[in-house]
Amino acid sequence: MASITHPGHEHEHEHHGPPSGIMRWLTTTNHKDIGTLYLWFSFIMFLTGGVMALTIRSELFQPGLQVVDPEFFNQLTTLHGLVMVFGAIMPAFVGFANWQIPMMIGAPDMAFARMNNWSFWLLPPAALLLITSFFVPGGAAAGGWTLYPPLSTQMGMGMDMTIFAVHILGASSIMGSINIVTTILNMRAPGMTLMKMPLFVWTWLITAYLLLAVMPVLAGAVTMLLTDRQFGTNFFNAAGGGDPVMFQHIFWFFGHPEVYIMILPAFGIVSQIIPTFARKPLFGYSSMVYATASIAILSFIVWAHHMFTVGMPVTAQLFFMYATMLIAVPTGVKVFNWTATMWRGSMTFEAPMLFAIGFIFLFTIGGFSGIVLAVVPVDIQLQETYYVIAHFHYVLVSGSLFALFGGTYYWLPKWTGYMYDETLAKTHFWLSMIFFNVTFFVQHFLGLAGMPRRVPDYALQFADFNMISSIGAFGFGFSQLLFLYVIIKCVRGGAKATDQVWEGADTLEWTLPSPAPYHTFETPPQVSFDEYHVQNVQNVHNK
Amino acid sequence: MKGGGVRKPGKAAPLQVAKAVFWAFFGVRKKSDHAADVESLTPVQIIIGGIIGAALFIGSLLMLVKFMLS
Repeated sequence: MASITHPGHEHEHEHHGPPSGIMRWLTTTNHKDIGTLYLWFSFIMFLTGGVMALTIRSELFQPGLQVVDPEFFNQLTTLHGLVMVFGAIMPAFVGFANWQIPMMIGAPDMAFARMNNWSFWLLPPAALLLITSFFVPGGAAAGGWTLYPPLSTQMGMGMDMTIFAVHILGASSIMGSINIVTTILNMRAPGMTLMKMPLFVWTWLITAYLLLAVMPVLAGAVTMLLTDRQFGTNFFNAAGGGDPVMFQHIFWFFGHPEVYIMILPAFGIVSQIIPTFARKPLFGYSSMVYATASIAILSFIVWAHHMFTVGMPVTAQLFFMYATMLIAVPTGVKVFNWTATMWRGSMTFEAPMLFAIGFIFLFTIGGFSGIVLAVVPVDIQLQETYYVIAHFHYVLVSGSLFALFGGTYYWLPKWTGYMYDETLAKTHFWLSMIFFNVTFFVQHFLGLAGMPRRVPDYALQFADFNMISSIGAFGFGFSQLLFLYVIIKCVRGGAKATDQVWEGADTLEWTLPSPAPYHTFETPPQVSFDEYHVQNVQNVHNK
Repeated sequence: MKGGGVRKPGKAAPLQVAKAVFWAFFGVRKKSDHAADVESLTPVQIIIGGIIGAALFIGSLLMLVKFMLS
């Protein structure tokens, strides 16, 4: 196995290659295979969560109850959140990490290749637990994705299945994080110091530390829920001397860094795409690293802004309000840096760039509505309204998801060896952009007018905006089938991608053939850098 | 920190650590200062500086809150 790959012999692995068929995927320890598994898994979960979202929007198309029972509606909102957060967004970023980090730092694979396999294969059982919980007596968990007691201590076995699923997903995330940290710290090619790493690698390094810090906290919180439910403890049961508000504090001590876990790798992807298509080095590379670290630290001291209305001393309210508002500073630094990178750049607007620009534009709107919600007196009005729904969908859909789409189009030619259909990809962008805003922009108005979240029925004055939002949701949902079509078309063939693919790209993966061979960088590359950015010996500028 | 003003090569003064941490919290760093940081700061210094910085940051926010409420 310790063979050396020579240029032009990249198919040598076929002589001693992996088992074929299903066994290849079950037993694989190859970072590219595991990356592919993560990405397909997350896309399936994205469609699953999407179907739940469309059922929710069908019910909300007009006032009154017409499509689902209120109990089932609550199960849908709960599982939609859990599936999208833990099943779609997080695994998708881990898929990107698996594919890209070894190739971007010049490593042959992830540090713990077998643990990598286990990290992935823990996910399908967890997903099955979540999905099949709909069919058990009492149905799926229905207390919201935040699993607040007392609802979560009262429900049927669907809640136990959810708790078990969260445990498994947490274990998977922790193992994935250990793998990523070890890979980045120990397996970089000679010459690639930390401050020369591509920004996507930096954001994942910081994200992995966040995951290691908070996933055990979530595991502790749901374990206490479990013992409250099954073993007679009273951690969160007021009647037994416990405190349901304590759950909220513990949950959000996990939950707020979790928000950054879902957005920092997106920052990383956008920070790779923008310089490539602006044909300029990333403006303020070290500022970006510092800003990412700064956002990560701040994420630990703002958790109670999710629970201003639960009751806390005014001192605490002010502290969390100020701390939350200060996050706008490093985030603003990032937005300015991306904009400055584009400034006077030689820009072209292929699909990855469109999604990256869409990201900056819409994520900033989501950031601003976050600052609005950070203001305690405003938040007390808007808590549990559709304004909050609009805010976090701007952050997580047009933030995380748009970055994932952009990253997929950016690296797909390297993964498959074929160019994707640019026209269809651009169509996918514009449909997503338009329908996303149709769906979620009007939800700001609904929230400001007082429509509560997590309700299957609503007062008549909310009817028009809900109808618009539902139409947008169906448009957005069906647009994603176009994404699936573009991916399948690209996987099956098309115009051959060059090794470089994008003329402005300058990280290590672009020095590899397209598609990237099964084993890469078995001998570490010698990496050299110019003054500003990662630049290897076979650089783009001589193209 | 070692006293007596004697610094090993590759070790930065506390003030430089504090400066680096402050600018990191803001999210911006001048290129020349950054280059100097990379030369002289050790990871342990940055981590300890970061923890002290975070404690000071929380403390100053609490003082601000106290001032607002007084």
